[in-house]
Amino acid sequence: MLKPVLWIHAEALGPANPALVAHPGTPAVFVFDRELIVQAGLSLKRLGFLYECLLELPVTLRHGDVAEEVLAFARRHRADGVVTTAAVAPRFALLRERIAAQLPVQVLEPEPFVELPEPVDLRRFSRYWRRAEPVLWGRAGAAVPPVPARRWDR
Amino acid sequence: MRSGDSLPPGDLPRQFASRMELQATLRQLFPEAVGDLSPIRGGSQAAAAALAAIDPAAYGRSRNHLDGAVTRLSPWIRHGVLSLVEVREAAFAWLQRTGQPPQAAAKLINELGWRDYWQRLWRRLGDGIWHDREPLKTGQAPEHYAAALPADLLEARTGLACMDGFVQELHSTGWLHNHARMWLASYVVHWRRVRWQAGARWFLQHLLDGDPASNNLSWQWVASCFSSKPYLFNRDNLERFSSGRYCRVCSAATDGTCPFEASYEQLQVDLFPGAGPC
Repeated sequence: MLKPVLWIHAEALGPANPALVAHPGTPAVFVFDRELIVQAGLSLKRLGFLYECLLELPVTLRHGDVAEEVLAFARRHRADGVVTTAAVAPRFALLRERIAAQLPVQVLEPEPFVELPEPVDLRRFSRYWRRAEPVLWGRAGAAVPPVPARRWDR
Repeated sequence: MRSGDSLPPGDLPRQFASRMELQATLRQLFPEAVGDLSPIRGGSQAAAAALAAIDPAAYGRSRNHLDGAVTRLSPWIRHGVLSLVEVREAAFAWLQRTGQPPQAAAKLINELGWRDYWQRLWRRLGDGIWHDREPLKTGQAPEHYAAALPADLLEARTGLACMDGFVQELHSTGWLHNHARMWLASYVVHWRRVRWQAGARWFLQHLLDGDPASNNLSWQWVASCFSSKPYLFNRDNLERFSSGRYCRVCSAATDGTCPFEASYEQLQVDLFPGAGPC
């Protein structure tokens, strides 16, 4: 990919977004997802918060069908691909596939909170935390401190 | 929007003279979106200021209290303005700077772990987070729960000062203390017997940090389809962690009609007559 554009989405609106860091000065676009906004009934508060985050990023703002808008943005800049950052929302995978049907898409992974070899037992938080906590505190050079077991006091 | 913007067709404006102008523009762009802007501002500058102000030790001691030293970082974390890694490193740096033992930041790190846990589950379950993870433990069949939220709740006129206060705060600011979320969710699901999905969708409409995984799976935890028992609270609990601010001005608290004025054992019997002992 020699001349990409960046697709910024709502799970990575910080200056540390790996796509922005890896490609400074590259044209970037964020698309307000018309279908999602209407279906979810998002309030103006939520859209305003996103908008204010975006005003601090070097990014073009659009509104409509996300995949169509990203592809149109790529054509506008005569790009040969799209770089973005991984997202968890299942909708992201669907949009990425629609874009990838027409242009190569590179997905950059942000640094994980804690690196755990799969499979991780997620049946209850306690099972996950038993694995994650020592790894986290190992990073700080400390042993696991005792934490009260109960999350909500009665 | 400012005159003089010369943008390619379809590009949204980026220049605003004021927040009022931004709000007016958003109303034109998104006519279906209800309400006003939140007093909480988006952006990495506001996020950095909030991150610099965290006090992990005070957080650990007081986070369950409405007046506690909670970080309010969740809207920025949810949208990746701040990553969990950045907050984790800020907490570790705070330990180094203050010379406090690891225990002082343990609760904050634990709560960051909850966020990571919900995200891992979302990656695994996808849209399955909208379905009951397990059977309810309330003795009630899922079809005995209403599909929609009652109007008096949405209009903040239940007559219960606490619940009406939480609804007003949710609608006007897009942020609620986590304990208030739990109380409100418990009231919706267990006292009003509404399906958790209706409450979850409502929260996602308004919460600036509205994240389908954290939100839905927490509603399921309250409802008891992702926990071993339903989450309940009583007046003593709410009054203690809110410093009595609602009960003092609530007519239900003085005329004997407060639905939360009971022991946990009595509430269990009243709300879940078909359930076995917890």
